[in-house]
Amino acid sequence: MSTPVYAVENLVIDLYTPTVSVRAVDGASFHVSPGETLAIVGESGSGKTVMTLGPLGLMPEGVAVDLRGTARADGRDILTLSPAELSALRGGFFGVIFQDPMSALNPMLKIGPQLARQAQLYAGLSPEAARKEGVSLLARSGIPDPEDRYDRYPHELSGGMLQRAMIALALAARPRVLIADEPTTALDATVQAQILALIRTIQKEDGIAVVLITHDIGAVSVLADRVIVLYAGQIAEEGSAIDVLTAPVHPYTRGLLASVPDFRSESATGTKEIPGIPPNQAQLMPGCRFADRCDRVLPACHSHRPRLQTIATGEVPHRVACPVVIAAEGIATHD
Amino acid sequence: MKSWPWAILTPALIFVLIGIFAPLLMTHDPTKQDYSAILSPSSWSHWLGTDYLGRDMYSRIIGGARTSLVAMVVVLLAALIIGVVIGSFAGYIGGRTELVLISIIDIALALPSLIIALALIGVFSGEAWSWMSDYWKMIIALTLAWWANYARMSRAVVVAELQQPYIEAARVMGASHMWIFTRHILPHVLGLVVVYASADAGALVLAIATLSFLGLGVAPPTPEWGQMLVDGMSYIEDNPALVIIPGLALTAVVVSFNLLGEAFALQKVPKAVRGGLLRRKKSARAGEETARAATEAKA
Amino acid sequence: MQRMFMRRTGLAVLLMLAATALTFALVSAAPGNVAALIAERAAGPGADGPMIARIAEELGLNDPLPVRYLRWLGAALTGDFGISLRTGKPMSEEFATRIPKTLALLAGGGVLALLLSLVMGLAGAVSNGGVLDRLLHGVALVGASTPNFFVAAMLTIVFSVMLGWVPTFGVAGFTSWLLPWITIALFPGSVLSRVVRVNLQEAMSRPFATTGFAKGLTRRAVLFREALPNILIPYMTTFGAQFTLMMIGAIVVERVFGLNGIGAFFIEAIRFRDFIGMQAVLLLFVVFFVSVNLIVDIAAMLADPRLRRPRRA
Repeated sequence: MSTPVYAVENLVIDLYTPTVSVRAVDGASFHVSPGETLAIVGESGSGKTVMTLGPLGLMPEGVAVDLRGTARADGRDILTLSPAELSALRGGFFGVIFQDPMSALNPMLKIGPQLARQAQLYAGLSPEAARKEGVSLLARSGIPDPEDRYDRYPHELSGGMLQRAMIALALAARPRVLIADEPTTALDATVQAQILALIRTIQKEDGIAVVLITHDIGAVSVLADRVIVLYAGQIAEEGSAIDVLTAPVHPYTRGLLASVPDFRSESATGTKEIPGIPPNQAQLMPGCRFADRCDRVLPACHSHRPRLQTIATGEVPHRVACPVVIAAEGIATHD
Repeated sequence: MKSWPWAILTPALIFVLIGIFAPLLMTHDPTKQDYSAILSPSSWSHWLGTDYLGRDMYSRIIGGARTSLVAMVVVLLAALIIGVVIGSFAGYIGGRTELVLISIIDIALALPSLIIALALIGVFSGEAWSWMSDYWKMIIALTLAWWANYARMSRAVVVAELQQPYIEAARVMGASHMWIFTRHILPHVLGLVVVYASADAGALVLAIATLSFLGLGVAPPTPEWGQMLVDGMSYIEDNPALVIIPGLALTAVVVSFNLLGEAFALQKVPKAVRGGLLRRKKSARAGEETARAATEAKA
Repeated sequence: MQRMFMRRTGLAVLLMLAATALTFALVSAAPGNVAALIAERAAGPGADGPMIARIAEELGLNDPLPVRYLRWLGAALTGDFGISLRTGKPMSEEFATRIPKTLALLAGGGVLALLLSLVMGLAGAVSNGGVLDRLLHGVALVGASTPNFFVAAMLTIVFSVMLGWVPTFGVAGFTSWLLPWITIALFPGSVLSRVVRVNLQEAMSRPFATTGFAKGLTRRAVLFREALPNILIPYMTTFGAQFTLMMIGAIVVERVFGLNGIGAFFIEAIRFRDFIGMQAVLLLFVVFFVSVNLIVDIAAMLADPRLRRPRRA
């Protein structure tokens, strides 16, 4: 396994609005290497978006953010960068694809110029060359008739086409890490697969590291090499996609997988939903944050915060933060 | 309303209190001329000096507050009542009547209110209207120029409320039209209209002063700021204070009502304005600013 | 799109007809007015009943109101707006000399308001909650609250009385236009600066702005490249509304600075019961306000790509 291009250690993110403060991410670590896809899975509000976009400074306006830990991009800790340095890194080193391409592209500007300008900025191209590059980026993203689409406004294209354009935009500056924040959630089911395939193709061709933020287990199984399951700002389980998807250990991961109708079982009969709602992160509890919803809960879960324990070593260690299941099922640990 | 900035009410309240207690605050009769003390500067007997007829400026300013306040309240109440009645009626009754009333409202809104008020004052200048004093011509003209906005707003609220399921429920339960209107719909209409009116008060004070400035509103010797200002213009080189003092008083009052309007606009703050970027570790105040700005846009 | 234009234009024409009919009905409500005034002007205060009646008959003032309206409108369409009762000159002549002055006033004020609002709004957005932002917010609040006649008076005090740079009264040369322009531009400029500021803030919180940041643009670049185009439509609509409101400022300013434009004429017409002059000016106002609104509506539609190029279904 090659060295990580982006590595985050012990990340803690506190969010402050005028009325509440929330620990959105609580001591999470992750890394991605070139050519690799890391999926960060969790329910909405689990902190997966904050965890990935927070260090890049991409947070909702009106929210004050406090970040601790380290986030090394190519060895440089981006949490210590000045706003100007960070903003240079955002276009060049990181590319980002957002959930809803309809609103993520500027409705008042034509699509082509939105990405040509990007190519122009980062590759130092002339306006004519930038247009050419823009068209070829659109073509590469699988947009038919790119010359025509170049001069269209976002409202003139379908959601799938716009997400392709968004991908073209994210790739315009030839990033090393592509962060895809629920890239298929807003799209039709048939289009979702195409977009995932496109991301996969581009990743293979360019050797880009991909961080896929999603709650779609289907997308994880298609794209991910490794998986991190996030619950209420803490990592519940992590490991290779195969390990986590086929041999989940954490009760939350199991619940999450059981709630997916089309995964593993063809029928929806086995579908279960996890009872309860995610905890209010404004009121932190000392113990396991999943305790209130967990079917394996013990009294100690409410008072002791579980540590991530390695249950399988190897190229990608499988780590789980649930001593209860590990003990009950006699799973061997390696640390 | 828990974190509502009540302090914002203070300046407007001061104006209202000065207007109400004007007779107690005045040191002189604001209309009394004193040819022995014409255009005199500030002194112990005349705190803000005197005007070209030797009238006490301080007392005239205080008196002007009362004049503005009374005229403003009368016009605002009248316009509000007419607007709410016509607008609610149009919205509630629907059909052709509504269409006709909407057309009238639209025509009334085609011209700026003050232009309509001016035109009406022009109409009232005819012989047929000579039984009315200038003051009442102004009051009536402003009222007729001002109601349409309230009518349009009221109608919109009524139409929206009528679509609420609870209205249907009340109707099914056999509630009368009057009951439904007064119990369920009117409170919503008044809620919005009163908030709008509190911000509109400033515009109205300004309109009264503008008409008086143009010589078409409050006539001398009744003290009125716009009219005092235009009087002072003739002596601008001798004593600019005659212009500056009423001008500042007027501006202060309008600012205080506009502040009120901004504060009210904040009430409708959407819960969170999402997306975008904030420089890291920026103070939480920025959130308030965002919310404030977002609502002002709609105001 | 084209159908929408036609619809809007049709509605605007209807609105003009209805509004002029209403003003005509109001101003002409008492037909004795005009005849009496004409008689008075012809024969002095000694004008008697029969004379007034004869004049009224000659002018067709006893005809039913709709007939008189149509006759008046027909004449107005051919450029005959009647003869001013106050000046005794044809209204078309008054218009010819006065409209250019008022238009120059409005145009200069409009340009100034545009510049003022963009500079203030953008500076505030760049400062984003900083001292300058707060200061400009305060300036805009005061600017939108100061009566324009007070602004005119203060400018006169400072530039004419204290500095002696421009004459206190009358208009001669470019510099003398400056004070009237500033006066009428302050209010719309202040209101529009808030529109710029607030809509920029709103645009900055939209997802495409986040995309802008993700592209690596600095805050300023996102503000100018991504957010600014998105305030165009709300700005245009408010600008149209404020531009028409500037007519009120023009009325005040023309009186303060002794500019013989339409506004000053209107006030004189009201004071001297010049009903014919009033009617002609009101017709002009109705046409002005309704067409500015129409132009702004259409321009806003053209500026919006979603309306200009609707998606082919």
